[in-house]
Amino acid sequence: MDSLQAEQAAREKAAFWDGVRISAPTMPGLVAWGAVTGMVLVQSGLSVWQAIVMTLMVYAGSAQLAVLPLIMAGAPVWLIFLTALLVNFRFIIFSAVVGPHFAHLHWTRRLWYGYFNADLVMAFFPQRFPQHTLAKPTGKLGYFTGLAMPTWCSWQLGSLIGILLASQIPRDWGIGFAGTLVLLGLTIPLIVNRATLAGVIVASAVSVAASGLPYRLGLVVAMLAGIATSVTIDRITVSATDQEQGKS
Amino acid sequence: MSAIDYLLLMVLMALTTAVTRSFFFLLADSRMPPWLQHALGYVPAIALAAIIAPDLLMSGGQLAINPSNAKLLAGIAATIFFLLTRHLISTLAFGMAVFTLLRLFAPAL
Repeated sequence: MDSLQAEQAAREKAAFWDGVRISAPTMPGLVAWGAVTGMVLVQSGLSVWQAIVMTLMVYAGSAQLAVLPLIMAGAPVWLIFLTALLVNFRFIIFSAVVGPHFAHLHWTRRLWYGYFNADLVMAFFPQRFPQHTLAKPTGKLGYFTGLAMPTWCSWQLGSLIGILLASQIPRDWGIGFAGTLVLLGLTIPLIVNRATLAGVIVASAVSVAASGLPYRLGLVVAMLAGIATSVTIDRITVSATDQEQGKS
Repeated sequence: MSAIDYLLLMVLMALTTAVTRSFFFLLADSRMPPWLQHALGYVPAIALAAIIAPDLLMSGGQLAINPSNAKLLAGIAATIFFLLTRHLISTLAFGMAVFTLLRLFAPAL
């Protein structure tokens, strides 16, 4: 029994280092991205401690950048929360890729591991453990941790460097615009079909048109309008495809 | 925003991270209905677009879709660069370079 457990532990350890090795080349980029985010947090007006607390707790770059203008405009907490939630919705999709592999764990451990299932982890995990390996848990926790731990460390290291450097950089360099550019770079690959593109265009237009509303409520109106547009176009496209398939 | 409000907000935001990332860790045995999978697929792009559009398309609270809007020009340049390279960090560097050059050398724009 003991030797079996030792063998198991050795396998998890080997899987951990496999995870570290395979994700290592992407870590410098992650440090750089973290540094930019940290810099933007402070340059946009958060204090150093506010930025550090946000980075360590929230651990979601795009949501952190997205809520900055809302915090600065004094928007109500519920609206900022809603914005972070909507921006984080993509993680639900990511969790559908990795989550089922950990169905055998207690729910508190699933919540814990899930919290660390960031973009990079989701990208690497299925390369080694595709869907057909669902029934075989060996090596998964080790490999997942081998991806998740360097990801967390690199991101936090970069963020802290950025936060501490930010005060050395003059405000008029316009570093804050880097946040918008990062969000732009994250948005483009998410526009995967016409329904999404239409929703993005409508949301952008409505967001500009409704920007005068108090508490940045225009943001909610814009998101709802965009989602309604995408859902409608999705419905039309799907029913059109169904009809075509019905004909043939 | 008071320190307490800020901490409350950080806890709520950390919860959005934890709950969305662990969603199908917790519901590991259930399957998403296809319509929900579709809907979740486009929500983040729409939310992000609604956030960045005013910064790119407006200046001083007014609509500014014209060549004197440095952010809009830099945004367009960054979009083209990203579509060609698909590389986030270099797109960021390129976009900031364009933005900075426009601000420094075309202040009259």
